[in-house]
Amino acid sequence: MAANMIKITDMEKIYRTEEVETVALNKLNIEVKNGEFVAVMGPSGCGKSTLLNILGLLDDPDNGSFVFNDIEVAHFNERRRADLRKHNIGFVFQSFNLIDELTVFENVELPLIYTGIKGPERKKRVEAVLDKVQIMHRRNHYPQQLSGGQQQRVAVARAVVNNPKLILADEPTGNLDSSNGNDVMQLLTELNEQGTTIVMVTHSEHDARYSHRIIRMLDGQTVTENILI
Amino acid sequence: MLKNYLNIAFRNLWKNKGFSFINISGLAIGMASAILILLWIQNEASFDQFHQKKDRLYMAYNREVFDGKLQCWANTPFPLGPALLREYPEIQATSRLQYNNFLVTVGDKHLKAQGCFVDTPFLSMFTFPLVKGNKTIALNDMHSIVITQQLAKKLFGDDEAMNKVLRVDSNENFTVTGVLKDLPNNTQFNFEYLLPMKYADKLGWSDNEWDNNSPSTLVELKPNTTEAAVDDKIKNITKRHLKGSEQVEVFLHPVTKWRLYSKFENGKIVGGRIDVVRLFGIIAAFILLIACINFMNLSTARSEKRAKEVGIRKVVGAQRQYLIGQFLGESILLAAISGVVALIIVQLSLSGFNQLTSKQLAIEYGNIYFWLSAIAFVLFTGVLAGSYPAFYLSSFQPVRVLKGTFKKINALVTPRKILVVLQFTFAIILIICTVIVEQQIKYAQERDNGYSKNNLIYHLLTGDLDKNYNLVKNELLSSGVATSVTKTSAPITQGWSDSWGFEWQGKDPNSKTDFDRFCADENFAKTAGVKIARGRDIDLKDYPTDSTAIVLNETAVKAMGFKEPIGQIIKDDGVTWHVVGVIKDFIIRSPYEPMRPMVIEGSKGFFNAMHIRLNSANTTEKNLAAVEKIFKKYNPQYPFEYHFVDDEYAKKFSDEKRTGTLAALFSFLTICISCLGLFGLATYMAENRVKEIGVRKVLGASVTNITTLLSKDFIGLVIISIAFASPFAWWFMNKWLQGYDYRVTISWWVFIGAGLLAIAIALITVSYQSIKAALTNPVKNLRTE
Ligand SMILES: Nc1ncnc2c1ncn2[C@@H]1O[C@H](COP(=O)(O)OP(=O)(O)O)[C@@H](O)[C@H]1O
Ligand SMILES: [Mg+2]
Repeated sequence: MAANMIKITDMEKIYRTEEVETVALNKLNIEVKNGEFVAVMGPSGCGKSTLLNILGLLDDPDNGSFVFNDIEVAHFNERRRADLRKHNIGFVFQSFNLIDELTVFENVELPLIYTGIKGPERKKRVEAVLDKVQIMHRRNHYPQQLSGGQQQRVAVARAVVNNPKLILADEPTGNLDSSNGNDVMQLLTELNEQGTTIVMVTHSEHDARYSHRIIRMLDGQTVTENILI
Repeated sequence: MLKNYLNIAFRNLWKNKGFSFINISGLAIGMASAILILLWIQNEASFDQFHQKKDRLYMAYNREVFDGKLQCWANTPFPLGPALLREYPEIQATSRLQYNNFLVTVGDKHLKAQGCFVDTPFLSMFTFPLVKGNKTIALNDMHSIVITQQLAKKLFGDDEAMNKVLRVDSNENFTVTGVLKDLPNNTQFNFEYLLPMKYADKLGWSDNEWDNNSPSTLVELKPNTTEAAVDDKIKNITKRHLKGSEQVEVFLHPVTKWRLYSKFENGKIVGGRIDVVRLFGIIAAFILLIACINFMNLSTARSEKRAKEVGIRKVVGAQRQYLIGQFLGESILLAAISGVVALIIVQLSLSGFNQLTSKQLAIEYGNIYFWLSAIAFVLFTGVLAGSYPAFYLSSFQPVRVLKGTFKKINALVTPRKILVVLQFTFAIILIICTVIVEQQIKYAQERDNGYSKNNLIYHLLTGDLDKNYNLVKNELLSSGVATSVTKTSAPITQGWSDSWGFEWQGKDPNSKTDFDRFCADENFAKTAGVKIARGRDIDLKDYPTDSTAIVLNETAVKAMGFKEPIGQIIKDDGVTWHVVGVIKDFIIRSPYEPMRPMVIEGSKGFFNAMHIRLNSANTTEKNLAAVEKIFKKYNPQYPFEYHFVDDEYAKKFSDEKRTGTLAALFSFLTICISCLGLFGLATYMAENRVKEIGVRKVLGASVTNITTLLSKDFIGLVIISIAFASPFAWWFMNKWLQGYDYRVTISWWVFIGAGLLAIAIALITVSYQSIKAALTNPVKNLRTE
């Protein structure tokens, strides 16, 4: 296994609308090692989410290279991206993004369905992960019936149920109070200790301290990197 | 995976009950209409396709040039059938067929039944199986009769009918030599009994003339012969036998085409009922499409609600085809539910539809093919309705959707606009067609028919009526029941005879003008209330030579080129007639045709009916009772079967009335479905614009302002639809009206009226949501963001 899970070189992303051109990423260079826990910080609009979306293969860059586990993926088509994504990457969003029509159990089950895991095996794995995030007792509830912290725990459970190598979290505590926020951070730390690589965008210095390294961004570029451990 | 799809599909249906209700009811109405029409089409297309030898069965047709046009018709000379069989080895069998309408008597049970004379091979040629008897010999004997199970039941009840004796036309005894399975509802043939042609010979109904066209001639070819080759050979058979005195040619018309392809123009098949079938097919397709459009529109209008779901599913690994599968699954589920509802609707409305179309359609629940087609139909509808939403919804980019930069769809977007325009265009076309069909019917109904229909009845000269005619007539007149009685060749509402063989002085030897031939013993103008233009009615009392008197209508005078018609001599079939009067034209055949030339021959002619002008001083009931008594006295064996001429005349409009009713029904359904969709769209639009509406209201917009704002878009679309629909409807109705010589001119106000109606309907549909949205408290709306 390569030492670097992610290597981004001279990455550019430019949003063009009719009136304006926004350079969201400007010749960005980033490396993330296997098993690392990285926090990305920076003012609003500096390109953090754009970076995370590209890392998550939800969006493609205009220029530059993106090597994921030694494979150049910058110009993968949608089908290959979806394939890579579902086996390797889990997402946690600020706004949880659970499907309102599905129960907690079914939300978490979803990635397993798309990777083609059989029913009994799915049940086992979903229950295990729900146990881990301590939400098992709410498995048949719908998202609206849960608190924000509970919803985010479900979202984390969904992100990890497939045992991804990489978890991308975009301000996972942004909508949570500090106690719930700490629970989620604790969860991510545990996952990282078990070997999952994590890249997390955050505005909170407190949360950032859970990570190994902080990448600070401004106007689509990295400015400093603080290594915490 | 499938379970998950179904799960979420059900939950989505349940959570959005309003949306589901609109979709299911719209789709169900659409599917039910389509199913009814498909049943009808299936029945039409199956006509006479059940004959085992259908690929070898034909009817012989004649063709000849009249007035420069090649005309085709199916009445042929009696000797044609036997001659074809004798002279051409390619022909396996022939049978002539002549319809008749005899009274059948068993004991003291009298029944008027519909039947025909056929030659013995008929039962072997066509697949009308006998449940009793031997088809090859059943009609060999002159006094044999084959009856249907239904007639057997009517005549003999549950007793065995085979070998029973019955009387036909009160004259002779016939033995039942076969019992036929009842005819299916998809055959052009219409008979309850079959008699041997030999008996027609005996009655003198048939002859050996090659220039008298009466029966149909049915032909079975040997295997491995082609229609074209035989056509080529038999072409000149009649000409040959007539030694060239007529230029008529013979050709074959296959049994498989009788029902749908029997309209000839200049000797070529140009269609026929197939045109109607196609039209119905198009209408069915459109109604279904319109119902599917509702689904597409509402699904995409709701896309915001589903966008997040799509985004999340993609993020956790769903590929696009999974999502397409999921959305198609939802639409197929919806189509399946709608299909069940549609089936219930069909079952409930089938009898009404059957009445409307004069059919006996039924759903064969026991038939596996029915269920297979039903499943195919549901899948088709589900995919048709779901494909656009599926591709549209599954195309959402997760980054956009989840970040919230996904654009809210405020106004109607373009594809949805197109779909609404399509729906309303179709609805407006149907409204316009309905109005014009109704106008045409009314126009023809109001046309002066040329005689007085009220208080006039006719009765066919059944049984002894012919013999006792004078006694009946005298008693009718002397008892004061009738004011005038006339014996005629046919009912005044039916043209039974025509000829181009009349001779008169100054006739152009090349002229082939066809005249209606009618006979009336005397006082026809008086009885019928026809106006005399010149001369007088035929009057046997005062003018003893009037048995060979003839009366012309004004068109006939013109056609014959007479300056002074009275006193002219006209020869017909060996009789020399002298013109005593000219009457104003009256309608005998179609009220949509121009007046045809007609001659009315006097008492030396042939007679089949009597017309009675009832005395208007008495009530109808009293008159009828008195007439019946007299008829019973002089014709005791036969039932009293009178017909009111005004009722019979009204029947001339039944086809068009049916067209009108169907057009109205289809427009109603289309409007219903379209409005359901419009209502749904308006609902979502109002929901999507709550914030905008709130802001506008805070800034001082009135309820009227808001309502107008929200309704305006829809009305614009309806106006565009009117612009599209009008030329289509005009073109189509113009074509339809071309089929009628006597027709209305299409007036512009029909289009304006239909347009206004559509706008009004759309406004009412949309305004409920608009007003509701406009009346909501803005503070409430603004807080929701
Ligand atoms: N879809 C888009 N279209 C146009 N501009 C965009 C789009 N997404 C992001 N941007 C712009 O790109 C820049 C970076 O955005 P983003 O990555 O969301 O920043 P952050 O997450 O750091 O707040 C911002 O200026 C933003 O306005
Ligand atoms: Mg962001």
